[in-house]
Amino acid sequence: MRETHIPVRGGDFAVDVFEGGDGSPLLFLHGIRGLQWNGFLERLSLEHRVIAPCTPGFPGSTGGERLQDVHDLIYFYLDLLDELGLHRLPIVGHSFGGMIAAELAAVQPERFSAVVLIAAFGLWRSDVPALDIFSALPQDFTRAMFYDLESPAAKVMTANEPEALTEIDADSPAGQRTIDYHLDRAQSLATVARYLFPIPNRGLSKRLHRLTQPTLLVWGRHDTICPPAYGDAFQAAIAGARLEIVPEAAHMVVAEQPERVAALIEPFLAGS
Amino acid sequence: MKIEMFHLCPYRDLPPDFRERNRSVWVDVPSHLFDAQTAHRLYNETLDELVYASEVGYDGVCINEHHQNAYGLMPSPNIMAAALARQTKDTAIIVLGNSIALYNPPLRVAEEFAMLDCISGGRLVAGFPVGSTMDTNFCYGMNPATLRDRYREAEELIIKAWTCDEVFSFDGEYTQLRYVNLWPRPLQDPHPPVWIPGGGSIETWEWTVQKGYNYAYLSYSGTARGKRVMDGFWKVANSHGVDNPYHAGFLQLVAVGKSEQEVADKFGAHGEYFYNKMLHIYEGFSDAPGYRTLDTIKAGLLAQTTAFAGGDPVELTWNDLCEQGNIIAGTPSQVTEQLEQVIKDLRIGHLMVLNQFGSMPHDLAMENIRMTATEVVPNLRHLWSEYEDHWWPQGAVVRQPAGAAVAGD
Repeated sequence: MRETHIPVRGGDFAVDVFEGGDGSPLLFLHGIRGLQWNGFLERLSLEHRVIAPCTPGFPGSTGGERLQDVHDLIYFYLDLLDELGLHRLPIVGHSFGGMIAAELAAVQPERFSAVVLIAAFGLWRSDVPALDIFSALPQDFTRAMFYDLESPAAKVMTANEPEALTEIDADSPAGQRTIDYHLDRAQSLATVARYLFPIPNRGLSKRLHRLTQPTLLVWGRHDTICPPAYGDAFQAAIAGARLEIVPEAAHMVVAEQPERVAALIEPFLAGS
Repeated sequence: MKIEMFHLCPYRDLPPDFRERNRSVWVDVPSHLFDAQTAHRLYNETLDELVYASEVGYDGVCINEHHQNAYGLMPSPNIMAAALARQTKDTAIIVLGNSIALYNPPLRVAEEFAMLDCISGGRLVAGFPVGSTMDTNFCYGMNPATLRDRYREAEELIIKAWTCDEVFSFDGEYTQLRYVNLWPRPLQDPHPPVWIPGGGSIETWEWTVQKGYNYAYLSYSGTARGKRVMDGFWKVANSHGVDNPYHAGFLQLVAVGKSEQEVADKFGAHGEYFYNKMLHIYEGFSDAPGYRTLDTIKAGLLAQTTAFAGGDPVELTWNDLCEQGNIIAGTPSQVTEQLEQVIKDLRIGHLMVLNQFGSMPHDLAMENIRMTATEVVPNLRHLWSEYEDHWWPQGAVVRQPAGAAVAGD
């Protein structure tokens, strides 16, 4: 895996981009927890050259304050793709990244050869109860992200969570790590809020009909943040879309079931 | 020194087991606990208490804005202020304030404040709070990422609407208007004094001082935390060469009686109701992501100065509250002495006193108002007499300290 910082729009943004593998290019957009090069991307990179940018506003990339809304973010991504010379490739988006992937595929359908939306935000159904991630306490939020908190995938992602907030000694390495953890988390969630608060509907349903590419939808069966009923809603709005429900997985389905998700995506991309 | 009576207009009749059975007094507080007949009584008693406070010696009366909660029943403080503008004669009417980022266009606030200023004869203080995260983000759905930008744009528009004497266009990020031409306009020239109610966000200090606005720190956490926050404010103010105490205000719960025992007996349950029920806010509603800036979060992690609700504190007793300085209680001389210390320690020229708090019934609130206004307030007014108060409405009375000769007497 290689990590580079790509300047966009004359340096207004510096975008952290992870890249791995030698196959045909594939764009991956990360979810609400930010960008990690995990087992899932490693697995995809066996067949593809995986390009995974970190959205500005999340720790790692700069310039997030220049983006006010989803409209701005879409045009930022078009500029980034131009910068990277990516003009035709499949797009895979998870969670918040799934919403952005759907928006991009609607704006420039010809640019994206296939679309994979995993536990994607972007639609709202008031009849489907979903966890309010913006008022959830940290421990409830973490619990909702995973089907099994004791799984290795969950352990990896929760390993850095500090103990309950007590006195912080800013001069100690542990204290500094705690401060960094809280600031990174606050920054990530604030960025998510910019695009998803108070409910994650920015009009995507009015544009989904433009997704004429082959489209695969993947949902964790136990996702309470973006419940599988939203997979149904996406499927109903995108002609020909296929929905796959992955067992023993919640919102972090890509981290919890990397093999199963990759095993759905690879043949889908090979056939499309 | 100016001393004003602050009223939150709380819902006083929550059940004894409210805290155990409900997660929050704000945002999703169950509506079945609200009784409109009770509210009919509460609104009118609140207005009576505010009018009484202005009659028996307070310099001004303060009210504020909150939404979807039992903590304070004034989603529109301007409606209360309209009644006060008619029912009070000479005191300042301090609306603390209108959450200007919530109104589209924010011109609505410029208009209503101008009306209040005209009706009251120039007695209005215009408060511009950002608003609590519960109110602005969770109840009114404002995006926390853009709330503060929106707030600053609204402030710019309102001030320009009050002061520009020609029709102008306004091309903002959030509000676009081809014709801004305020009718009516404020009576005070150039406009009512602006106070910024704050909860401890550090970037507010710099902005407030640069604008020359009053910083009104609304805290229930007592004088120790109050001093940490006000020291932060004064450090910023001093760096701009500002040291006038009237530049700042502080809120304090006060209970006055004939003896400490009497005060504890009469007010204890109401103080406990306030801290244990009115501030029982679900922690998840206390900080929408992006509401606080990273700088403020960092400062908060280090000094724990900023959270409005800071989780749900353990159940507090009257003795705890008095010992920690959350409530200043006692005989008139005891309270006067303690308040004088607070005023000097925090260097504030405006003390906002909460005389009615929690479940306190009307009669007791009236008694507390009377004793504070007549036996405490006059003995504090001499403080800071060497400074000029630039944050007082032009049409409001300036009362004399106890013992001072009044011209014409």
